[in-house]
Amino acid sequence: MQREVAAEIVDSLKEAGVDFVATLTEANLHDLVIALGEDSSIHHVPVTREEEGIGICAGAYLGGKRPAMVMMNAGFLLSTNALATVCIHPGIPVLMLIGHSGGVGEENAGHATVGALTEPVLQAMHIVYEKVGRFEEIRPTIRDSQVLARSSRRPTAIVLNKQALR
Amino acid sequence: MKRYDCLRAIAPHFGDELVVTNLGAVRHEWQALRPHHGNYHLQNLGLTSSMALGLALALPHRKVVAFDGDGSLLLNLGSLATIANQHPKNLVHVVFDNECYESSRGAPTATAGQADLAAIARGCGIANVLAARTLDEFEKGFMRAFRSDDLYFIHAKVEEGAGDVPAAALDSQENKYLFVRYIEKSENIKILTSTLSRAGATR
Repeated sequence: MQREVAAEIVDSLKEAGVDFVATLTEANLHDLVIALGEDSSIHHVPVTREEEGIGICAGAYLGGKRPAMVMMNAGFLLSTNALATVCIHPGIPVLMLIGHSGGVGEENAGHATVGALTEPVLQAMHIVYEKVGRFEEIRPTIRDSQVLARSSRRPTAIVLNKQALR
Repeated sequence: MKRYDCLRAIAPHFGDELVVTNLGAVRHEWQALRPHHGNYHLQNLGLTSSMALGLALALPHRKVVAFDGDGSLLLNLGSLATIANQHPKNLVHVVFDNECYESSRGAPTATAGQADLAAIARGCGIANVLAARTLDEFEKGFMRAFRSDDLYFIHAKVEEGAGDVPAAALDSQENKYLFVRYIEKSENIKILTSTLSRAGATR
């Protein structure tokens, strides 16, 4: 991810009202995670495991924060039980920014299965998601996904594809 | 020492503190001892410590107490590292360690073997770690943590067995709404969004 893309995501999150972000980094998310850590208006919690981040975001929401979770799709798959029991069941929103490895253009064979499973699992969980690949899509998609998360009281997801992550 | 006796000893000291309970009998015991809209009963095994951390970070001026269990914390040991690094001074993380999966018919957990949760908490970087094996030790240790302005981890070794309390009518959606409305009122903030009314709009 280029630094201007990371800066655009951070600025868009702030414009959408997000003030609390849990992250688990990966090479493609590195610049975004560093930028979030440097921003004083967003409380940044680096976590050790993605489902932990879902729990932290849900707790922060109950305390009045507007949380988001940044992770790769492998971490999203790991978090499915947490999303079901902690967010969807009681009705707690979390905006998820999910880096999509294993999609078209993927050169690492090991990511292909996770890549193929990501959208079907989002659909199976009835999580509304948008795929983002172009710079100009970032700001309106973050804004609209956050509006839906808060109004529906459900998690929503933005899947950042290879173009967005480059 | 039994978990219910520990909870019964400390419940009278609670005012407007926020509590997150683990899945299992502890939620029914706590709800019977301290029925309050500031109790959040998590419907998940593992994330009690993480929910409490998020809540404590969001409301740093409110005391947050987590009643966790050994089976739950063993699922989420990494949360201790995150809690230590975030260091919320308003969080008291209590783990009632009965060395078994009590609500799942009692098979032993890893703490029945070699694992020591207090040592793990210290190793993660939590400075204030208290270990309690008697009710007196627990009550004194908890009250010290409860009245302090720092992060505490309390490891309470307890016998297996639940308190003789009625099952609480705990519905996750209802619990969430009551808890959020309580936070909105007590903090004078707005958490739940409202649907815009078009009743007064020009036709």
